[in-house]
Amino acid sequence: MNRLRLILFHGSRLFLGGIFVYAGMIKAEDPVIFAGQVANYQLLPYAWNYLVAAILPYLEVISGVLLVLNRWVRPSTLVLGILNLIFMVALTSLIVRGIDIDCGCFRPDADVQTSPLSALIRDLGIMLLILMTWFFERRKNREERD
Amino acid sequence: MSDRPPFRSPALRRLLLETLVICAVAMAVGLSMNYRMVLNAFTGKTVAALPIKTAQVAVAEFPDPIELVEVQELIAAGALLIDARHADDYLEAHLEGAISLPLGQVEQLLEGFRKDVPVDRVLIAYCNGFGCPDSFDLGVTLLEKGYQQVRVFEGGFPEWRDAGLPIKGEGL
Repeated sequence: MNRLRLILFHGSRLFLGGIFVYAGMIKAEDPVIFAGQVANYQLLPYAWNYLVAAILPYLEVISGVLLVLNRWVRPSTLVLGILNLIFMVALTSLIVRGIDIDCGCFRPDADVQTSPLSALIRDLGIMLLILMTWFFERRKNREERD
Repeated sequence: MSDRPPFRSPALRRLLLETLVICAVAMAVGLSMNYRMVLNAFTGKTVAALPIKTAQVAVAEFPDPIELVEVQELIAAGALLIDARHADDYLEAHLEGAISLPLGQVEQLLEGFRKDVPVDRVLIAYCNGFGCPDSFDLGVTLLEKGYQQVRVFEGGFPEWRDAGLPIKGEGL
């Protein structure tokens, strides 16, 4: 793998890891508020919002830490890819249903709210990073094997 | 790799296994850190689900839930108990010192309420205990109407009565 690709791989891996460790840690700090934000999406039965709020932050933190440490890059990228896909579907459903709430992506007490559309655009960028990490990792593995 | 069926591929199996391990660890950690919250949610013991917030309402606009000990301390310091239940329930029996402001009639009664109760007084809303959302909803309404210090006594009437604290009403 040439130098540019290697830089892109490590750059996107570290950046992704950092984003998700940060996002997960703030959410893990106050799960009740995060549960309220999940409930705002009006997608899940009442109690399930709390279950999601209990587990999701740790999925983000664990996958993010693994990416930063450059360990288990493929499975953690897969987990974050699936999560990000779910976020994008949920945000799209907000836009379709015309519900204007804070996306609950990062700080629960943010002064400036992030609208579903801008969160969706941001998630598209994150998805691009996830795909880059995934494919560069695969390429790197293949070249190391050959 | 390409000449094997997908699930026989060791690389794919390893990927799936590792993914499952990440999910399992996240579940174990998340549930052990928050088991009480999840358990309360599934047994209906949490305060009513947070209502839908519009872009204008900040998170801080929700009333703080408090426990019996804190209720007593606040009352001693001049807080006002507010009964969010139906007026008939209030007449039947209510916490000593409480006034009635049924959630269903809050719009009609609020004007008179405002004349009697200053906006900076500490208010404690209660109803029929855990699983009863009226006190929480009343708390949200009072905060929206400009009251600055609103709490919710989650245990409500049953916890107060069972603790042997004074009750007033016609049905006693």
